[in-house]
This record gives sequence, structure tokens and C-alpha cells, in this order.
Amino acid sequence: MNLPDWVGDVARYMLEEGLVNTLRIAGISLAGAVLIGVTLGTLMTIRFLPLRGVIRLYIEFWRGLPILVTIFIIYFLLPAVSLSLRFEALTAAAIGLILWGSAQVAEATRGAVQSIPREQHEAASALGFGWVGRHAFVIMPQALRRLLPPLVSLLVNIIQNTTIAQVIGANELLESGERSVERLTAPPPIGLGEIHSFEIYAAVMAIFFVISFPLTRLAAYLEKRLI
Amino acid sequence: MSSLLALGFDPSFFSDVWSFVDANADELQAGLRRTLLVSAIAIAGAFFIGLVLGAARAHRVPVVSQLAAVYVEVIRNTPILVQIFFLFYGLPQIGVRLEAFTVAWLAVMIWGGAFNTENFRAGFEAVPARLREAGFALGFGGISTFLNVTLPIGGRIALPSSINTYISVVKNTSLMYVISYPELTTTVLQVQALTLQTVEAFTVLAATYLIIVWTLSALIRFLESHLALPKAL
Repeated sequence: MNLPDWVGDVARYMLEEGLVNTLRIAGISLAGAVLIGVTLGTLMTIRFLPLRGVIRLYIEFWRGLPILVTIFIIYFLLPAVSLSLRFEALTAAAIGLILWGSAQVAEATRGAVQSIPREQHEAASALGFGWVGRHAFVIMPQALRRLLPPLVSLLVNIIQNTTIAQVIGANELLESGERSVERLTAPPPIGLGEIHSFEIYAAVMAIFFVISFPLTRLAAYLEKRLI
Repeated sequence: MSSLLALGFDPSFFSDVWSFVDANADELQAGLRRTLLVSAIAIAGAFFIGLVLGAARAHRVPVVSQLAAVYVEVIRNTPILVQIFFLFYGLPQIGVRLEAFTVAWLAVMIWGGAFNTENFRAGFEAVPARLREAGFALGFGGISTFLNVTLPIGGRIALPSSINTYISVVKNTSLMYVISYPELTTTVLQVQALTLQTVEAFTVLAATYLIIVWTLSALIRFLESHLALPKAL
């Protein structure tokens, strides 16, 4: 099969620039979302109404907004409030995904922690564990098992939602595809004067599918296996 | 209140937001109306797609079931933003030119339909087999058993998760910003660019989405408590 000459260069650009940045945003966002989300979700199981209320508001707020609006708020609104809150596009997108993702993780963690029978708490207390030790050594190891399938689904969602960073110009996979389309459309000597948007956006879809499909299968498998 | 003032919060903020809404009422209303219109078309379509394909998946209708599975997996495993780009910027290369409005409702309808297929499939499969057997025993055929037994019960089971999908459909209409379709997000950003009232603009934008989403979430909780299946089933 003979591919046209432009394919090699475009593919290299999209994979080395775009895909790398996509995976970078996704990795940072997942780590931040899990860290903040597990903490907030665990704190939410404490019977202290003001704390619960604040975390509930955090969850409903960031889950209620479209991620695009959250990213716009970080990228356009924060610098208007204070000049010190000016972020690069990649950073702003990652912050937006962390806020949204941590809200999802917090809600899932709350459910997972509360699903652990109260005898486990009582047994740990009887062994002399305090609140922190009880949660770190007894409750969380069991809750994390139940949390694994939703976390894999969250990873799929985060990877797909990194494309929203394209809207503020972060050079992730979709943006690298769009830049390639524009470059090829430009008349020679800059480009080829040819339109290849169909192939390139189909390729972007295919790359995301190849990454996401095994992960959604894994999430379904874990859900059957771990519960 | 005094502590808020100490943090630099200006109580005239609310009147600023109100005058922003008042001064740009026509544009904002038009944007909101387009968001609701696109969402309504997409939700109606996604309901229909989910119902038909979900039934085909649950009852393993040959060919249709396999095609539906491919459709669901492709849509669920690719970003909706790339789907929008493909429909609006990719298809013209092969001669298919869609208007921004068409792509706006079509993209979220295709996306919502895929998720709804799974919602309804799970709902229909959760209907106990003995209820369908009871339907057959009463002399109902396959289609009347579906319409009179599986649909009313399975549809109720699927309702909360399908409303969750509709909430996501509404939120995803904001992505039509990338094809410059003047729904709510696009409109507010255009007004913001003209007036430079950034804080007011984003307050209105966020508040509008939260009101819509929180209302629909409350509806789910209401339906979950009122449409729960009796324990006897």
C-alpha cells in the first residue's frame, strides 16, 4: 500500500507532539483527581455537617458545569480577577480536568467507603486504631478495590476530555490534527493546497478508540471480577 | 458578611451581574433558547435511538444488535469533540456539508443515543424473565410482551441513568462553541468579548448551567423515589 508523502510527517507530528501532550495532560489530571477526590470523599464520611456541606457543594459545582465552561473560567476569568492567576493552556486544561475529575472521584469514594460494613470500623477501633489509622490500614485498602472499576472509567473519560484543551489552543492530539489540516490546506510552498480533514479527523478518532477501547473492556472486566 | 467584605467582596457585585443580564437580555435569551432547542431535539432523538437499539441489544435481534454494539463502542470510546470536528470539518471533504445547527443537534443526539442504548439495554435486561414468561402465558406475542411488560418495567429501571445521559447532552451542547453555533456558551463569550465584563459574563454562564443541571438532578432523585419498583416484583 502506498501512502501519500504527507502522511509520514503529519503522523510523526501528531504522535510526537499531540499524543504526548494528550497523555501528559491525562496523566497529571488523573493523579490530581484521584489524590483530591479520595481525600474529599473519605472526609465526607465524617459526621460533621458543615464539612459535608462544603464538599457536597464542591462536588455538585464542578460536576454541574460543562468542562468547557470550567476550563474557560480558569483560562479567561482567573487572569481577569488577578494577574497572578495566569496559566498556560495545558496547565489550565489540566486544572479544569482535575476539578471535574476530583468531584467524580470524591462521589465514588464516598460510596465505596460507606459500603464497607461498620463491623470493620469497630474491629479496627477495638484494635486501637485512631481515625487516620483505621482508614489508612483497614477501610481504604478494601474501599480502593471497589473504587478500581470507576477509576478506570474515569481514566477513559479524562483521556477523551483532554480534547477540550484544544479549544484554548493547547497542542494536544486534536489540536495537532487541526494544525496539520490547516498546514496541508495552505497553498505551496507552505502546504500542499489539499484538504485532508476527513482522513486526519478519522485518524484522531481511531487513535482515541485504540487507547480507550481496551480500557473500557478492562473496566467492565474489573466490575464483574472485583465485586 | 463583614468577613466577605474583608476579603474584598463587593456587595454591588449582584447588581452588576443583574445589569449585565439586563443590558444583554436579547442575546442571552436567544443563546439560552438555542441551547434548550438543540438539547430538546437531541434528547428526543437519543430517547428514540436508545429505546429501539436498547431493545434490539437486550433481545439479541440478529444483525441490528451487532451493528448497535459497534455504534455504541465507537461513540463511547472516541471524544465527542472529535466527533463534532469530524462531522463539521471532516465530512465537507467528501461533499457532505452540514450546517452548524444540524451538526449541533446531530452530534449530541448520536452521542446521547449511544449512551442511552446502554441505559435501556441494562434496564430491559433487568426485567425478570418470569415476568416475560407470564406475558407469553397470557397469550401475548413477542412485541406485545415487550410493549406491555418489558417496556413499562425496564423503562422505569432505565429512567434515572437515561436522565443522567440527558444532563450530559445539555452540558455537551456547550462544545458547539468550536463550530461557532451561537448557543449559550458561544453567545456569552461573544458578549464578554464586546463588553469586557468578564466576571459578570462567566457568573451568568456558570449559574445558568448549574440551574439547568441541578434541576434535572433533582428530577432524578424525585423519580427514583416515586418510580421505584414495588418490592413484590
